[in-house]
Amino acid sequence: MADYRQMWTDLGIDLEKHDLLCEVLPEAFGGVFLSQQSRPEGMDFYDFVVSEIHGVRPAELIEHRKQGGKVFGTFCVYVPDEVVFAAGGIAAGLCGGSQFWVPGGEKVLPVNTCPLIKASVGARLDKTCPFFQIADLYVGETTCDGKKKAWEILSGEVPLHVIDVPQQKRDKDVAAFEGEIMDFIEVVENLTGNKITPEKLGEAIKLINNKRKALQRLYDARKASPVPISGKDALLVTQIAFYDDPARCAQMANRLAEELEQRISRGEGVFPANALRVMVSGTPMAIPNWKLHHIIESAGAAVVVEESCTGTRYFEHLVDESGQTIEEQVKALAQRYMKTNCACFTPNPGRIDDIVRLAEEYKVDGIIDVNLQFCNLYSTESYLVKQALAGHNLPVMHIETDYSEQDYEQLRTRIEAFLEMLRK
Amino acid sequence: MEQTAYRWYILFPNHQQGLRLNRELKEMGIKNQIAPTPRAASSCCGISLIVEPDDLDKIRLIIEHIGVTIEKVVKLPVKTDWQYRGI
Repeated sequence: MADYRQMWTDLGIDLEKHDLLCEVLPEAFGGVFLSQQSRPEGMDFYDFVVSEIHGVRPAELIEHRKQGGKVFGTFCVYVPDEVVFAAGGIAAGLCGGSQFWVPGGEKVLPVNTCPLIKASVGARLDKTCPFFQIADLYVGETTCDGKKKAWEILSGEVPLHVIDVPQQKRDKDVAAFEGEIMDFIEVVENLTGNKITPEKLGEAIKLINNKRKALQRLYDARKASPVPISGKDALLVTQIAFYDDPARCAQMANRLAEELEQRISRGEGVFPANALRVMVSGTPMAIPNWKLHHIIESAGAAVVVEESCTGTRYFEHLVDESGQTIEEQVKALAQRYMKTNCACFTPNPGRIDDIVRLAEEYKVDGIIDVNLQFCNLYSTESYLVKQALAGHNLPVMHIETDYSEQDYEQLRTRIEAFLEMLRK
Repeated sequence: MEQTAYRWYILFPNHQQGLRLNRELKEMGIKNQIAPTPRAASSCCGISLIVEPDDLDKIRLIIEHIGVTIEKVVKLPVKTDWQYRGI
């Protein structure tokens, strides 16, 4: 077996504690993913990535650093990866999706902080995640109060740059975000020692756009009935996209999408054609948070789309590739990123428009609007989502949950009742 | 009395060997599944291949023929009572 212990030791990983994480992964992954029937063959790649989750990709990042490259750890879809790759750096999503890391975060954060923040802080402080140890710079943002304060704690551990994401979408806010991207370019240039030229930024814009197109193509296949891929598998693809090499991500997602398109032409699916089609909207589900999808799909319904940062918000909208100067390209970047509809904006009608549009595109029977526990923004916005969807006759249920399995049975009962209502 | 079902895992010294055998078996139409190595099989992490017991003799010949290095083949009981457990 591949032995990564020397690599982890060199990274300062707490081997004993980390081993507990390694121990539970195979069984959980087997129970959630490998128990599924008729999975696409293209999922082989993603099964491999999970099997080597703290081995192969960290080794690639370490090699990149040995060659003089820098690694940027990110936590949000508002961070323009294009800037990092244009300077020869690598951006890797660091959001924590494991309950295993939560107690470590609770040592320094209030318990009533969302599990994503607690897990992210805990992964670093407990030294149980190679990705958190490898990153040269963390890139934070201002999309919620919990994160803003967490950056101050994490900055005691790792150099950290914060991108100020505006809270409204007026022209002056888009202009302000352009300024943030210009500042970020300077930070990235200083750390990497590489100048970001229009040619380099143009190439990076195309690189990330290609990844977005591939993920969109994959999601387009989910519009078919019967659906050719489970929601769990599609979610895993998106989760891995956050830290995989972008060119490889596009290649593998395109390969999988091609297989799904062939399945569609043959009328093959992973659920019967009459299975309920569900949209999950709300807060992100960072790897390895698969709880909700597992409950929904174990109850016989298919998750066909995620309106979330680990779903459509990650890849919808492309950056205009026609910019010839840094100023034009940064403007195009700002315009693209500011189209993303996060609950941190006020007002945020665009998100409700997105949910209504996606419900039609993916022909959903119902929507499960979920927020991570203590996420005040999405929890409050759920009222407005419910109100708006009632006007469109779209059935919706709201769920607040965390990473633990404590509420598993309660959620299962509620979701099964919701699905039963949809069947009537 | 209920009979215990088993699963056969092939373990490798590194992922390159595992991916190579996975590719070869797929090309030959022999069923195999990439999976994280269960703790009961090894204390190290990484990929393993789940294969059908009826194919084992054939797979051993292929391994020898193409020169893939494996660590061992492990037979483990299948858990039929698995309950969701977050990681």
